[in-house]
Amino acid sequence: MKFTHFLCLFLLLVSCKKTEQNLTKITGKNIAIDTTIAASEEISKMIKPYKEELTGDMQEPLTFTPIDLTKENKGKQSNLGNLLADLCIEMANPVFLEKTKTNIDFSMFNSGGIRAIIPKGVVTRERAFKVMPFENELVVVTLSGDKMQELIQYFVKTKAAHPLSKNIDLTINKDDYTLKINGKPFDKNKTYTVLTTDYLQSGGDRMNFFKNPLKLTVLDYKMRDCIIDYFKKVDTLKTAIDNRIKLK
Amino acid sequence: MKRRDFIKRTGAVSTLALAGGLVLPSMIAKKQKHITILHTNDTHSHIEPFSANHSRNPNRGGVARRATLIQQIRQENSNTLLLDAGDIFQGTPYFNYFGGELEFKLMSMLKYDVATIGNHDFDNSIEGLYKQLPNAKFDFVSANYDFKNTVLDTHVKPYKIMVKEGVKIGIFGLGIELEGLVNKKMYKETGYLDPIEITQDITDQLKNKEKCDLIICLSHLGYYYKSNPNKISDLNLAKATKNIDLIIGGHTHTFLPKPTIVKNSDGKNTLINQVGAYGLNLGRIDFYFDEANEKSTKSTTILV
Repeated sequence: MKFTHFLCLFLLLVSCKKTEQNLTKITGKNIAIDTTIAASEEISKMIKPYKEELTGDMQEPLTFTPIDLTKENKGKQSNLGNLLADLCIEMANPVFLEKTKTNIDFSMFNSGGIRAIIPKGVVTRERAFKVMPFENELVVVTLSGDKMQELIQYFVKTKAAHPLSKNIDLTINKDDYTLKINGKPFDKNKTYTVLTTDYLQSGGDRMNFFKNPLKLTVLDYKMRDCIIDYFKKVDTLKTAIDNRIKLK
Repeated sequence: MKRRDFIKRTGAVSTLALAGGLVLPSMIAKKQKHITILHTNDTHSHIEPFSANHSRNPNRGGVARRATLIQQIRQENSNTLLLDAGDIFQGTPYFNYFGGELEFKLMSMLKYDVATIGNHDFDNSIEGLYKQLPNAKFDFVSANYDFKNTVLDTHVKPYKIMVKEGVKIGIFGLGIELEGLVNKKMYKETGYLDPIEITQDITDQLKNKEKCDLIICLSHLGYYYKSNPNKISDLNLAKATKNIDLIIGGHTHTFLPKPTIVKNSDGKNTLINQVGAYGLNLGRIDFYFDEANEKSTKSTTILV
């Protein structure tokens, strides 16, 4: 063996590059981030100017609620879901009416889209952001009777309290149902206009009945802006669990 | 040449070296190495701690506190990696106002190494995510999103390999199916590939070609879907594949009290961990290695 060969081999061994790593032990835990940990000054300093810009805007009081408004599912309704479904149709209908000379029949959203509760007391702009953090746009779909039946079947089958506006009068008896819309029995030979979001219209939460509507009207109105406009309009939020859904 | 043969054939050389007064055996003897993996998921723009009067999480969370904790752990062990499993965006007005700028800047200051992409990271559309990339001094990995026909093309790699104290760590990303979850106008032409098939390919590459000592999956698939048990999830992925040591999960906001141990398709242990959401917790997994001449068949002790 030549000396250069010897040197190469020697260096290879010394460098230890090729040794195996045998995994002998693993430990795991999840650590709570709480008040026992001091805040990093460097990070707080970085956040500060952003925070100041936000706080001013966000703390503006817009309205008031005497009770907690939550997503708590009471017979497929929630008081917050009812409020949102009702306020959206109230605020969006004039926009739709101006565009199309027709009214919206009802609204439907998804319960998963409500991202926070509204605790009793003063309601700030920040709260509207928490309830509806997404940039979802309101849209109106015109549905055939068949798609309407799919929509109701979807609602009847799910356990979730997907928000429906008070235009709906639905009695569910196991898998069977009777439905009135704006006081008139559901007619599967008619078409219906439904207010929802662009997210759900594109099949979000598997609401596929919204996917290929007879007609799609974009209102250029964000759901959060709609909520904020309504909060500015009313002094006190009034909503309740009512008879729009009856479970037999 | 196999490692074993190599050692045998050079035995004579070792003896010579010893004779020369060099301490070669100490290099061959076992040396313990320690790698710490820290992780978050679904932080959802929660920059500040929850307020003192919050009903569920009063005074909890906050990036400034997370920074202190991470700093302390890095001082204990400099061989630390910091990872995130997606949904960095959306959830507080910080995102609505600043589009994710502050989230990425802070993660860069905390020295995150790698993150994957969650469904909400498309909330300002794929262009909105692309626009914020210059603020991120860390890498994004995703193996099953095909960004070829989008602005993210070449900006997101399937995996990243990091070497800490000679331990080779392969980190790959998996994202949830976007159809039906995110508006198509947001994710545009992002393609979705089957997570199990991709995982088989990638882990084979990481294990057998790249010779990684540790393989970590950053997953935004979700921990498990009780009402849809066959839907791809971290639990199902772990069982159906091999070679993954650790899955760091997200999406389902699952607050695991401790990591879950699952037997993979080879009958070996895979760890799954997820720390809920909103930066309320930091996950910590420590891996200890013994350096040896040969791959040991001895089992690994897991203490969770």
